[in-house]
Amino acid sequence: MSHSYRIKTALSRRKVLQHGAAGLGLILLSPFAWASEAWQQLDAAKQILNGATPITQGLTLDLPHVSEDGSAVPLGIQFNGDLADDDYLTDIHLFAAGNPQPEIATFRLNELSRYPDIATRVRLNETQHVVAIAKSHQGQTFAVSQEVRITVSGCLMRSEDSQTEPLTNPRVSVNQQVAAGDSLEVRTLINHPMETGLREDSSGERLPRHIIEQFTVRLGDEVAFEAELHQSISANPYLRFHLTPHQSGELVFEWQDDQDNQARHTSELSVS
Amino acid sequence: MSQPWNRLSRRQLLKGLGGASALPLLGAMPSLAIGGQHAGHVVVVGGGFGGATAAKYLKRANPAIKVTLVEPAEVFYTCPFSNLFLGGLRDMRSIAHNYDELRQRYGVDVIHALAEDIDADAHKVRLSTGDTLRYDRLVLSPGVDMRWDALDGYDEAAAEKAPHAWKAGHQTTLLKQQLEAMEDGGTFIIVAPDNPYRCPPGPYERAGMVAHYFKEHKPNSKVLILDAKDNFSKQGLFTAGWQRLYGDRIEWVGLSNDGRVTRVDADNLEVETEFGTRHRADVLNVIPPQKAGWIADRAGVTDSSGWVPVKPDTFESQQVSDIYVVGDATVAAPMPKSGFCANAQAKVVAAAIASSLEQQPAPTAYWANTCYSLVGPNYGISVAGVYRVTDGAIAEVPGAGGVSPADAPDTVRALEAEYAVGWYNAICQDTWGTQV
Ligand SMILES: Cc1cc2nc3c(=O)[nH]c(=O)nc-3n(C[C@H](O)[C@H](O)[C@H](O)COP(=O)(O)OP(=O)(O)OC[C@H]3O[C@@H](n4cnc5c(N)ncnc54)[C@H](O)[C@@H]3O)c2cc1C
Repeated sequence: MSHSYRIKTALSRRKVLQHGAAGLGLILLSPFAWASEAWQQLDAAKQILNGATPITQGLTLDLPHVSEDGSAVPLGIQFNGDLADDDYLTDIHLFAAGNPQPEIATFRLNELSRYPDIATRVRLNETQHVVAIAKSHQGQTFAVSQEVRITVSGCLMRSEDSQTEPLTNPRVSVNQQVAAGDSLEVRTLINHPMETGLREDSSGERLPRHIIEQFTVRLGDEVAFEAELHQSISANPYLRFHLTPHQSGELVFEWQDDQDNQARHTSELSVS
Repeated sequence: MSQPWNRLSRRQLLKGLGGASALPLLGAMPSLAIGGQHAGHVVVVGGGFGGATAAKYLKRANPAIKVTLVEPAEVFYTCPFSNLFLGGLRDMRSIAHNYDELRQRYGVDVIHALAEDIDADAHKVRLSTGDTLRYDRLVLSPGVDMRWDALDGYDEAAAEKAPHAWKAGHQTTLLKQQLEAMEDGGTFIIVAPDNPYRCPPGPYERAGMVAHYFKEHKPNSKVLILDAKDNFSKQGLFTAGWQRLYGDRIEWVGLSNDGRVTRVDADNLEVETEFGTRHRADVLNVIPPQKAGWIADRAGVTDSSGWVPVKPDTFESQQVSDIYVVGDATVAAPMPKSGFCANAQAKVVAAAIASSLEQQPAPTAYWANTCYSLVGPNYGISVAGVYRVTDGAIAEVPGAGGVSPADAPDTVRALEAEYAVGWYNAICQDTWGTQV
């Protein structure tokens, strides 16, 4: 079907806005009211905030409103807030407020990863708020939260029996050439069960916790990006992030799990 | 639904006319007949599973409602069982339905045109014929549109070389021709999307049907599914069935093994995955991510997800009043995007609209769904669910549904294959009623 029938333009959207004026006010208000509660109610988040009142502009979460598969919900987090010229974000913490263990991940940023635009996949047990908190080098704090409705449908019933060998098939997708100061997108994927320690096998035996805890990217000798992962990261962790490298060198990717096993991947980067 | 309550409530409506409260309502619905010929005008856009059912059941609820169905095609080919056509089990004619019964038996005014635009404030639909229809209530069941911007290289032109066949008709016959023209020893690649999309088990039923065709006609050929998900509908049942009927002929690569396709080269029948693996196909079937049919955008009922949020009790749009949306276009999870669900939702909408035209509250809604899939001609599997509104959202009734048993003898699979045919005949009878 061609789209040339769409002759009339924004008219109807404006009308919808008029139409829903009352409803719209509600929609605008409620997330804020809720959002401040969502991180105020979460001990782990309160610890990080340490009494500070976070700025609610600048940090954005990208999550579906409804997800039909809570075992792998795509999550994106970006920052485009105001910071002093010599300031930058040092860490971003992600929480699934309704999971038995709410920690999802902490991303440690630095000079080379100061423009965060990160994506991963997370486990959400049930309908709940996802919370993100960021801190800057000079002590600014930012927070955002969004609700995700999880609808477990029999039609999409998941088979839990797929066996994953831990720390196998590390995959990295990254351009090998980039201009100095340009943003470089990096995508990584590795096979790992990310066993939460909360699950039982078919005979009722509790499966021990077994997860990747640490992911580190180095450019030459410099750490470029780090992630601490927790149980609420989906099996087979996926991470997409951005670097702004200034010099050529070897990019080294390292995954480390809680049994002290490691996987490694390297690729040459040429910065012009 | 029987007639008496309709008459009763119309009388009640007339009685209520003297009251001031009825006046603004009437102002909003000038064509609601008061002593006139009809009990309100409902325009239904889309004559598929949702739309045709809504039109018929509105007339069944109250024949005095004027119902106009707008659908460009004179013949509707169902997606259900179009995979069986690919497998060589059926011809296209057997999945072709028309609007004769709706017209002749139910008095639905069927207009073969496209709805081009909707003015929700004025309650008007503009048609490709240049005519404008004024409605008291509007039902949209436009199905899905492909997101042509979602996969690099996959646009409408590319779909002529690498068909999606996710709307039945020309696309389906195109894919079938390619399948037949393929040399033995080739690879049929299915690119499967992430949720949500039309018919969760559809890509996997297709894999089985194509493998069946290969088994009979091209025994050295194989099927490769590249998937943007790590698990899919009835996965265990499908995998066991494939193994049983086709051995290693079907291979599935999920998200975590780099199954997500991000680029399509339709000229060379090649796809590239997120981590740079390239796969060459002899026949390439790309099922791209989808969204609500574009007319839903024009009506202002879609949200940022591209789908239509609805009030769960009535399937009225959450964003625009007097517009009801059913079928694949809606956010109705945990109900899947199936023909069965579109049909069930349409009945709820018909009852809700018939009631609302009489100023009556909508009856309590509940729905059921069964998705049958054929793994082979005599090998059927199914999943069923029952749904109702709980805490303001649609929820699956625990313990009411279920899937086919994992370890069942062939006789059970053969019976389910028969039930699938029974289901198909029944739902088409219920929705259209007449075949070409
Ligand atoms: C391969 C495959 C197999 C499937 N198998 C099954 C199955 O076994 N069981 C099952 O229950 N479901 C199955 N489905 C799913 C089923 O096809 C859909 O869920 C169902 O068609 C949804 O109904 P609908 O009314 O929302 O959309 P549709 O049935 O697609 O109807 C939409 C109609 O709207 C019309 N339209 C769109 N825009 C306009 C406009 N602007 N103006 C006028 N008309 C318009 C279109 O022409 C179309 O006729 C399958 C799907 C596929 C792809």
